[in-house]
Amino acid sequence: MTAVFHPQRWPLAIRAPLIVALLMIGIAAAMSKVVLDRLARDQAQSFRQLTGAYLDGLSTALHSPVIRQEPWEAFDVLDRARHKYSGVNPRIVLVILPNDTILAALDPATYPVGVKAPDKAHDNRGDPDLADPGGRVWVHRMLREGGKQIGRIAAEIDISNIQQVRQETFWTLLGVNGALTLLFAGLGWLVVHRTLRPLLRLSSYLARAGDGRLEPIPERKLPPPDTEAGKAYRRYNAAALAISEREALLHRLADQERRALLGRYASAIAHEVNNPLGGLFNAVRMIQRHGDDPERRERAATLLERGLTGIRNIVRASLVVWRGDSDDRNLTSADIDDLRFLIESEAHRRELALVWNNALGEGVRVPAQAFRQLALNLALNACAASPPGTQVVFDVRSDEAAVLLSVSDQGPGLPDEARASLQTPGIRDERATTGLGLWIVSRILEEQSATLAIHGPPGTAITIRIPHAEPGLQRAA
Amino acid sequence: MRSAKPRPKTVSRRHVLAAGLATAALATPNLVQAARPVLFGLTPVFLDSDIQLIADLERYLSRQIGRPVQLVKRRTYQEITSLLVANQLDAAWICGFPFVQNREQLRLVAVPLYKQAPLYRAYIVTRAGRDSDSIAALRGDIHAFSDPDSNSGFLATRSLLAGLRESPATFFSRTFFTFGHRNVIRAVASGLAHSGSVDGYVWDVMREIEPALVSGTRIQHVSEPMGFPPIAAARGVDPALRTAIRDALVGMPNDPNGRMILGMLRLDGFVAGDSSLFDGIAEHWKRAQEFG
Repeated sequence: MTAVFHPQRWPLAIRAPLIVALLMIGIAAAMSKVVLDRLARDQAQSFRQLTGAYLDGLSTALHSPVIRQEPWEAFDVLDRARHKYSGVNPRIVLVILPNDTILAALDPATYPVGVKAPDKAHDNRGDPDLADPGGRVWVHRMLREGGKQIGRIAAEIDISNIQQVRQETFWTLLGVNGALTLLFAGLGWLVVHRTLRPLLRLSSYLARAGDGRLEPIPERKLPPPDTEAGKAYRRYNAAALAISEREALLHRLADQERRALLGRYASAIAHEVNNPLGGLFNAVRMIQRHGDDPERRERAATLLERGLTGIRNIVRASLVVWRGDSDDRNLTSADIDDLRFLIESEAHRRELALVWNNALGEGVRVPAQAFRQLALNLALNACAASPPGTQVVFDVRSDEAAVLLSVSDQGPGLPDEARASLQTPGIRDERATTGLGLWIVSRILEEQSATLAIHGPPGTAITIRIPHAEPGLQRAA
Repeated sequence: MRSAKPRPKTVSRRHVLAAGLATAALATPNLVQAARPVLFGLTPVFLDSDIQLIADLERYLSRQIGRPVQLVKRRTYQEITSLLVANQLDAAWICGFPFVQNREQLRLVAVPLYKQAPLYRAYIVTRAGRDSDSIAALRGDIHAFSDPDSNSGFLATRSLLAGLRESPATFFSRTFFTFGHRNVIRAVASGLAHSGSVDGYVWDVMREIEPALVSGTRIQHVSEPMGFPPIAAARGVDPALRTAIRDALVGMPNDPNGRMILGMLRLDGFVAGDSSLFDGIAEHWKRAQEFG
């Protein structure tokens, strides 16, 4: 919504015609004002000339009747002049004597002979206002004889025709200028739209690239290569191709990493399975040799059970971890315990002390598969980074809002590229030597809207907070 | 007397030539006189703006009399009457009132026939739509008269008021002269005057010619019939000319041009008439004079 009130954020295809329209409105307003001012001046001058001629004619003809105070002759003059000055259009004409009574009027029925002249017929000595809303103005002319005033003429002139011309001129200007403004704004929009069309198309392709669908522009839609748009489109296509290849490479690398991880797990499992195997064979041989001795047999059986239980745990944990992407269950405390078997074996192999705290509560809404991959990667990385004899701490807890995972070691600290790989989801530094494990972690963190905190050196402490999914919704694992 | 009269009119080259030839051939004063145009005065009793009518009348009289006739118009009755009485005109169509006033100096030539009678009436008119039922209701009006020497446009009303023991100055709040019956109608119709005194014949004819103007007025009072404004000749005018003028006028219905002129004037013709026709006007004058 806020973009609506920030014109600088409006699309250029709207801004450019709008600027053209505003410029046109400004120019049209200035031109209209000049035209209307000129018209007003011309009309005022024409009005002064016309009414001046009218009053000159009347005053000449009225001179004698006014001296003799002859109402008929004065009226006769006014009446005969009525149709001779068609451009003046007088509505009320009064011949007024010095005692302010009417000698004659163009309309004697309304202004009878001998009555006092109306107040509005008094000479205000000002220029008539041709914009008068009533559409009528008064003009005056003194009648003198030998320097002495013998009377005056007061005429109310209908100026509605003058005002109508002004109105018509105004509306014509408004109409023409409005039409021109719209026309130029439309042309501006068309020109800008046509100019920007390649850019907008490129922008839409880029927007799709942001959604993960980076597709090159088909050859048939490419502008000629010698145009700016053509060059830009081809650069985009080259970039799209490079990014697609890189994505494919990353997927291949991730797959390889998965396979590498699988190998390491397989090795760990083999090691774990191999460890009790010697004891198991010893137990079997003990049963073969001393099977008759109940005490030895019982001891051998106990030994067998313990060894097989260990193997079973390893196998079960492996089954859980590698169950596949179809596992969309929520995380439970048992999932954390299963992980322990896998990590514990790696810790033992590296002669590390593993401190395991599993305080995961009930009602956690975090996908189990994603969390296990995340936790396993971090824990194995911590083990790999720790020198023998040091301690790795694995801590999981939960509250009402999130699950908190903390993995810390006493190694030399997280390298910068590994740190960057973790903190910048989706971006993998080609120079990173830490493998794809942390990059996978960062992808999962992004998918789960998780937050990450890294402390150290000395050592490395990584704390991850994964918020519970909305009830009823299951985040992609 | 005529030979002593100064003639202000420009004598044309043709007239000079005709006069010279006549003098050389016959040396008779009458023929010299015959070359001089007959001066015929017109008062604004009628439609003073009808140029066509004046031209037609001039042409008709010239042809009928056998001498050029020049129609002379003046603004007021008094100017024509004074010219006529002073023998500056041979004949004139004047009002009955100046005829009565100057009966001794004038000779009756002919009287028009209006509605088959040499009579007309004076009207007192008010604005159309005015609620007045008698002359008394006009008290305090601004009143328009036609001319101080007009019978219908002044004397008749003056006489009527005298019968009420009033004069225009006391009865009306204000009066003015418009010097034309048409002007009286204009003044009343426009509202400049509340009422006016007008020639009934003129009002009737104008109602036909200018109905829009006349419809703005209403007749309030109609006088008794009076002698129609006559054509009079100066006393010194050659009787033969007077007769020629009378014959031309009386013979109008017998001539197509004459009938056309009568049609324009809405008259039926002219009769020789008798000066007793104007006794009624003389009576009005007397009454008006007696009162004040």
